[in-house]
Amino acid sequence: MKKSFSKLFLAPLTVLVLTSFAMAPVAEARGGGGGGARAGGGHGGGGGAKQVNNSSRDVRANNVRSTSVNNVSNRNTNINANKNVNVNVNNNRGGCCNNGWDNDYHPVATAAAVTAAVVVTSAVVGSMVNTVPAGCVPVNYGGYIYQQCGSTWYQPQGSQYVVINPPY
Amino acid sequence: MLHTKLALGLLTLALATPFAHAQSAPPEPAKSSASAVDPGSIQALKDMGTHLQTLKRFKVSTDLTGERVLADGQKLQHSATADIDVHRPNMLRAKMVSPRAVREIFYDGKLVTISIPAQKAYSTVEFTGNLGELISKLEERYGIDIPMADMFLWGTPAAPLDKIESAMNAGQDFIGNDLCDHYAFRQGDFDWQIWITTGAKPLPRKLVITNRSDEARPQSVQYFDWNLKPTFKDSIFKFTPPKGATAVELRSLEKK
Repeated sequence: MKKSFSKLFLAPLTVLVLTSFAMAPVAEARGGGGGGARAGGGHGGGGGAKQVNNSSRDVRANNVRSTSVNNVSNRNTNINANKNVNVNVNNNRGGCCNNGWDNDYHPVATAAAVTAAVVVTSAVVGSMVNTVPAGCVPVNYGGYIYQQCGSTWYQPQGSQYVVINPPY
Repeated sequence: MLHTKLALGLLTLALATPFAHAQSAPPEPAKSSASAVDPGSIQALKDMGTHLQTLKRFKVSTDLTGERVLADGQKLQHSATADIDVHRPNMLRAKMVSPRAVREIFYDGKLVTISIPAQKAYSTVEFTGNLGELISKLEERYGIDIPMADMFLWGTPAAPLDKIESAMNAGQDFIGNDLCDHYAFRQGDFDWQIWITTGAKPLPRKLVITNRSDEARPQSVQYFDWNLKPTFKDSIFKFTPPKGATAVELRSLEKK
């Protein structure tokens, strides 16, 4: 039932994608002029102002079960009701980024829960650091930026970084 | 005098009894159509979609409360806000605020940028297409959701209405100062409700989505605030990297 449902919707979606545009990465570095910031948006929380500090957060709060996410966009209902859920469960898309624009929870425990037998990385998943080692490469995956440092991945958390399982 | 009252009382009782009896019989359904899908409710979605597609330049903001369920069934609520400035067919600026990050999306018809100011980082990719195509492509290829994407999909084939299994008119309600029609739908594992302003220019003001695939039934509640006469300039759609910001590769989902 779930599968046929999502397939039904995927077909027209694929056609749409095929008939559309290339989405090529842009050659990096475009001349950096200053200040692109918009003066006061409708909502608060500008860049770099207040930051969330989750150092007191109970690890249990991270243990979100995969069936519970993706209840925000109506796209789930109208287009791909079960697609997201299936993707998350089966493909473990990142184990973290359940592609909701409101995604706010932390991939640490979720990723660990989904892939119990994950390869042990050099740094302990869930541990916090103030700065990442030299030579890390920032990667934007699922609309969020991570720091990849060899086989170790960090996710920004407030002004610190937390070690996570690789998002992909 | 007392006698009269007693008699009246008895009379009332006598009259009331058969009436009460009649009421306990199965009532005529007030307005329950034979089919589970009320055509008027579907039509209301169509009308709203048609109107949404006519909007050329607008700003819409949302306040969201969502829920996630922990392994043991306990629920946690979370909050987020977003606003989008739009110029159809192909310009958009979004700001998304959640505890995890404040992020902005810029689309000027040629380039899409996702910027995370606090991390002094941004990613840009080339793109041409309208906003509906942008939404599909960003999600499909990069796993990035544009907030309130529904506003661009309702009224298009991307939001088909023929899969709705149950549709009903739930009456009227006020959202803020706006009188709205309230509709409720069921589809697959999801129940959803929408509040649409009454009148010739219907706009969604509230959306509730309930996920029935989890027995804890996590739910999101979103309110929408509209500004159909926004004052922004076209220049806001163009991204200029802030001083010291780093361009970061935007990794596509297919790459493993």
